[in-house]
Amino acid sequence: MTHKEMIEKVLTNIDQVMIGKRDIAELSVTALLAGGHVLLEDVPGVGKTMMVKALAKSIGADFKRIQFTPDLLPSDVLGVSIYNPKEMEFEFRPGPIMGNIILADEINRTSPKTQSALLEGMEESSVTIDGETMRIPQPFFVMATQNPIEYEGTYPLPEAQLDRFIFKLKMGYPTKTEEIEVLTRAEKRVPIDHLETVISLEDLKDLQKAVVNVTVDDTIKWYIVECASQTRTNPSVYLGVSPRGSLALMKACQAYAMIKGRTYVTPDDVQYLSPFVFGHRMILRSEAKYEGISTMEIVERILTTVHVPVDRIRVK
Amino acid sequence: MNGIGIDRRLLALLYILAFLLLREWLIPVIVLTDTGYLWLFLVFIAMTFLMALVGAKWWVTVPIKIIYVVWAVHYVFLEKVFFTKETAVQLLPDILSNTGIIMGGNWENLTNPFRTILFFLLLWMTTYLIRHWIEVRRSIFLFYVMTVIFIAFIDTFSPFSADAAIFRIMLTGLMLLGLLYISRLAEKHHVVLSMRSFIAISAPLLVVVTFSGAFANLLPKQEPIWPDPLPYFKSIVQGTGEGGMGTGISTSGYDPDDSALGGSFEQDDTLVLEAKVASKQYWKIETKNTYTSKGWEQNSASESHMSYTMGGELGGMDVSASDSPRQQAQLKVAEEFPFLLYPYGIRRVSAAGNVILLHAQSAGQYRTVINGIEGALDAYEIDFQEPKYSMKQLRATTMDDFATSNEDFSPYLQLPDQLPGRVKELADEIVGKYDSVYEKTKAIEMYFGRNGFVYAQQDIVVPKVEDDYVDQFLFDTKRGYCDNFSTSMVVMLRSADIPARWVKGFAPGEAVKDANGEHVYRVTNNEAHSWVEAYMPGIGWMPFEPTIGFSGQSNIDFDIELDLGDPEAPAMKEKEKQKPKKPEKPNKAEKSFEIDKLFESLNNWVKNNVWKLIVGIFILGLISWGIYAIRVRWLPKLLIQFHRSEKSNWKTFSTQYKSLLKQLDRYGIKRASGMTLSEYAIEIDEFFGGEKMRVLTQAYEKGLYGGNTTDQEWGNLKEMWEDLINRTSG
Repeated sequence: MTHKEMIEKVLTNIDQVMIGKRDIAELSVTALLAGGHVLLEDVPGVGKTMMVKALAKSIGADFKRIQFTPDLLPSDVLGVSIYNPKEMEFEFRPGPIMGNIILADEINRTSPKTQSALLEGMEESSVTIDGETMRIPQPFFVMATQNPIEYEGTYPLPEAQLDRFIFKLKMGYPTKTEEIEVLTRAEKRVPIDHLETVISLEDLKDLQKAVVNVTVDDTIKWYIVECASQTRTNPSVYLGVSPRGSLALMKACQAYAMIKGRTYVTPDDVQYLSPFVFGHRMILRSEAKYEGISTMEIVERILTTVHVPVDRIRVK
Repeated sequence: MNGIGIDRRLLALLYILAFLLLREWLIPVIVLTDTGYLWLFLVFIAMTFLMALVGAKWWVTVPIKIIYVVWAVHYVFLEKVFFTKETAVQLLPDILSNTGIIMGGNWENLTNPFRTILFFLLLWMTTYLIRHWIEVRRSIFLFYVMTVIFIAFIDTFSPFSADAAIFRIMLTGLMLLGLLYISRLAEKHHVVLSMRSFIAISAPLLVVVTFSGAFANLLPKQEPIWPDPLPYFKSIVQGTGEGGMGTGISTSGYDPDDSALGGSFEQDDTLVLEAKVASKQYWKIETKNTYTSKGWEQNSASESHMSYTMGGELGGMDVSASDSPRQQAQLKVAEEFPFLLYPYGIRRVSAAGNVILLHAQSAGQYRTVINGIEGALDAYEIDFQEPKYSMKQLRATTMDDFATSNEDFSPYLQLPDQLPGRVKELADEIVGKYDSVYEKTKAIEMYFGRNGFVYAQQDIVVPKVEDDYVDQFLFDTKRGYCDNFSTSMVVMLRSADIPARWVKGFAPGEAVKDANGEHVYRVTNNEAHSWVEAYMPGIGWMPFEPTIGFSGQSNIDFDIELDLGDPEAPAMKEKEKQKPKKPEKPNKAEKSFEIDKLFESLNNWVKNNVWKLIVGIFILGLISWGIYAIRVRWLPKLLIQFHRSEKSNWKTFSTQYKSLLKQLDRYGIKRASGMTLSEYAIEIDEFFGGEKMRVLTQAYEKGLYGGNTTDQEWGNLKEMWEDLINRTSG
């Protein structure tokens, strides 16, 4: 089975429960393969949980869900050591972060302290509890959600922490026909319960390893860096994309090229992914915000102006 | 480069053809530089090819060639066949000093032996290059084209006539091209052609080339429809430096007897004079006043003599020279001349010993009397003031001035009775439209340069009893050297009632370094020359140079800047433009073909034809622009042809793909700068139908972004590319 076929299996599997969300599924898999995490910003009820569950089930991964509330403590996420009187010692009870695929629901509802506990875990792939460092089992993929409607009593994620997510996505409503199809499928039974595992966790690890072998030509690197640096000089942007952003974009492109069955990254990959990668890594000037320009639009605009390299570029 | 893949017999044939082509380069160079020893260079080339043919190793060939070069230089310059101690003694310091000269960039001072060595080196490199073209590139087209251009250029701009050469070049060149093409095809398709099949394949080519060549040679040839575009410089360069005057059947050097002109002018580079002087000077000896239809005589019935002692000021200074700076010339005369060779504006002569100058005033000759006996001085110094003429003054001269002058011009208006009337008719026709004496004179001087006259030294007709020397030259032969030109000018001037006389002397000669390393002008018998003096009323006798190839002997310092302060200057300048002007300084009469002279002539030619040039360039530009503007139609065809013969690989494919992008852009389907190739490909395919562009793009992206430049189906891609680019030309 080629890499592409394996990935295709996963995507078709997800397609059975998520109707018309092929693009989000692809992007989620891209993030998973690139070793990144995804921030979903959308209203409740559009299938965020379903997406993550389907993905977890398809790869036979351990799925955990954390519902963030204002009173949630870091230990509720990471786990806690409890004294076991029988054994006469402290015993570690792992928290929900110790899973493969985590759905962190409404991450902006909890206190910054708890947020950062999760985000640190995401970044380091390990947690430190009572001075003891523990590895989080691999693969490790967090899909955090944020409700854009209710701002009352929320703790918006600071920009620096948003950087930890490789993509920020919007799910969006399905079309009417798609929604009807959703209803039809759920009429008799719960589709997710019948979803099968199509590839093993080992397969997924192999895929993750193979991603790094996807060629990124100097030409493409030039293109990525050019796009990133354009965000830094754009007059509407207060803070542009960091080099970490460029790096994330490159990694994402590699994974995406693999999904598309290619062994090399093309400018199309860069163009397709850069709004999702760059969108949440930029801060706009207030003037631009008032004009209603979104970061996504800025990225789109930059993409139309930066010259796509169609010839060899010598990078010293 | 050892000829793998080319049959040795074939290689030998190719080398012979290349040798013939290279020979065509050498001939004009040798002829024009008057070097002689063509065979020395030919042997060198032949030797090089021969050694390449037998596959000699470099450590064999290099020493052999070096020894040959040294021997050749030795043979030419020391005139000895075998090496002696002298060789090392003379050549080594020469090479060392020249190396210094090269480092210093003083190219002009290189000595001849060293130049010859450099020329050999150039030949060496050229043969190497030709071998590369033949054995590796298997394409000689570039060299062939360069040869044709070179020969055409030489033929147009120099005295060298390439009539036969161009024919030979066409034949050898075409054969070489054809044979190389066959062998290139064989190599490309990895076919080993046996000699027999090679002959079979190339036979039609050889037959066609031979027959068409022979046929073309036999066909009557149309005269050029266009007049030679550059007769002006042709004539100038042809005559370059080759001065000559003479009597009788065969002449060389100076000869006091000019009663029978005509016949060949023989080369004789015996040294006459070494002059140390700041600028080039014409060396005058005497003038003659009586034309006899066959030659010149000096009618000295009324000759008056003045005698001067050494160091004293000479009388009879030209008005025109009065305010020129005083200059000095030191002369060393090798020939036994009992008279002075002197520059215009002579003021004072000094020499050692008891010498008296006897000045024959009408003949302008200074005879030297040593201790009471006429004898030759071998060294003397002359102070002189170079005459300068004001253009304004020259233009103010009128024919009426002669009538009011109280001088007797009759000896200088003398013409033989049997002079045919058409000479005078021609003279009147030439001077008719001009008013001033100067302009009339100038018109006659310029006449020769533009009416098909040719400078030649060999086989010049000697007039028969019933012929007139001038008439024959002007109307029949139009071929001759300085005597023909100068005599004809004097006769025509006289026919137009302008007093004129015939001057003899030597041209300025070649600037060289003498034994002490100082610059001197070396004048040999080859520089023996004749020119014209015409009388300008109110100014005096003024020299003119009608001989084509000698750019402006006339001794006026025609300098527009001199007259800039003059209110008449602008109008005068305008007039000057209409009339071609030769540079007026008598400076260019060198022995060898001179590049700067060529530029000078070119410059003049451009000046004279400036409007034609502008219109021509404009039309040419318009045509080029038109062709360029519709390139969307013809370029694809050209590109297809161009790429078809190339190897199918990534390099070719990527150039093809990029040219396709450009062509599509020209076609009108623009790609925005932010558009990726695959998006563009979709657009293109929607437009033309099919999916060729997508396939091509994918292959290109695979190569460019994926680094996969090896295993793709280049052949298929090329076909698709041809299909697609062809569509854009419709």
